[in-house]
Amino acid sequence: MSDRYSRQTLFAPIGFEGQRMISQKHVLLIGAGALGSGNAEVLARAGVGKLTIIDRDYVEESNLQRQQLYTEQDVIEKLPKAAAAKKRLLEINHELNIKAVIGDATPEVIEDLCREVDLILDCTDNFETRMLINDASQKHGVPWIYGACVSSYGMSLTIIPGKTPCLNCLLKKIPLQGMTCDTGGIIGPAVQMVIAHQSAEALKILVEDWEHIRQTFVSFDLWNNQYTNIKISKAKDEGCLSCGTTRTYPYLQSENRTKTAVLCGRDTVQIRPPHDTVISLATLSKQLKSLGYEIKGNPYLLSIEMAEQRMVLFQDGRALIHGTKDITHAKSVYQRILG
Amino acid sequence: MNKIMLFAHLRDEAGAEYIELQAEGKTVADVKELIAEKYNLTKLDSTMSAINEEFAEDDEVIQKGDIIAFIPPVSGG
Repeated sequence: MSDRYSRQTLFAPIGFEGQRMISQKHVLLIGAGALGSGNAEVLARAGVGKLTIIDRDYVEESNLQRQQLYTEQDVIEKLPKAAAAKKRLLEINHELNIKAVIGDATPEVIEDLCREVDLILDCTDNFETRMLINDASQKHGVPWIYGACVSSYGMSLTIIPGKTPCLNCLLKKIPLQGMTCDTGGIIGPAVQMVIAHQSAEALKILVEDWEHIRQTFVSFDLWNNQYTNIKISKAKDEGCLSCGTTRTYPYLQSENRTKTAVLCGRDTVQIRPPHDTVISLATLSKQLKSLGYEIKGNPYLLSIEMAEQRMVLFQDGRALIHGTKDITHAKSVYQRILG
Repeated sequence: MNKIMLFAHLRDEAGAEYIELQAEGKTVADVKELIAEKYNLTKLDSTMSAINEEFAEDDEVIQKGDIIAFIPPVSGG
């Protein structure tokens, strides 16, 4: 297999030295959905030293349209995504050192891994985990790359501690009800475009070509032919609690995390967002109905029928997930709808 | 006049790629409020803003000819 990386080492900015560096780096991939599948495949083929993949879900039929590592057999077997991804990635590159973590990306799990990784790739579907990654990245000095997409629209940002503004500088708070693939739909090319941006930046970071890191927030709409780069150098906020002069890393603190509780004897998990919020139930109801969900409701709550669960969502963001006692699964169901 | 570029759900809600508005002297927050009402746009409070392709805070004042963009962060992945 001596020829294996020849086309990549021929690429001058990587070369033999770059390839050697790639082969010694450890990348943490959080989320093994559409972005996770694609980014993992690029890195496995590129010869990354070690990959750790965290995911809490299992493979479902509706994933196959865009999540490139998975097969119909994985759906039949209901394989956890992290395990199915590991199996496929080892078929692609048997030399890959890969660890699959099946579970929730909690502050403890992420902080532990931060001590040994060179880069974090955000392939999650919610802002709560992204803000958590952002704080852990600043605290432990590990770069991370934000990526997200919905319908034909996608975006990405590279965050290097000490060099660029962080996600909290730009957003200031967790945007609730960000559009998700379960509410706005998604096409494969939008996923691929985000993967291309994230993985190109990942290769630059792995070969330590800091000069060529993109300094902008990129966003695009492939259906409507828009491509925009926003300069962010002036956005660095010295008062930012994640990367400013006085840091508290707020999203590593438990009071800023979604609260969950299993309701005894009811086969139900209650989910409460960390802060007061008002959800536009009418808008959400319209969106979900157009996607074929069966929705009932009144001005105070929505009842959303799903394959195996029923979610009752209140205007203040609180939800009851009926039909499960599994907190991790319930949180996943909740964040798929609310982001 | 100022051109206001809309992305993602904002574009769908307004039914246009951009809108034109006299925004000189107004802040980014003023413009958000104005267009939210006029075009029934939602979730503008968590939308990122840019003036002339540079990230802008809510209190930034808009000058003559500035092009403003509202970019809603999305969470799918």
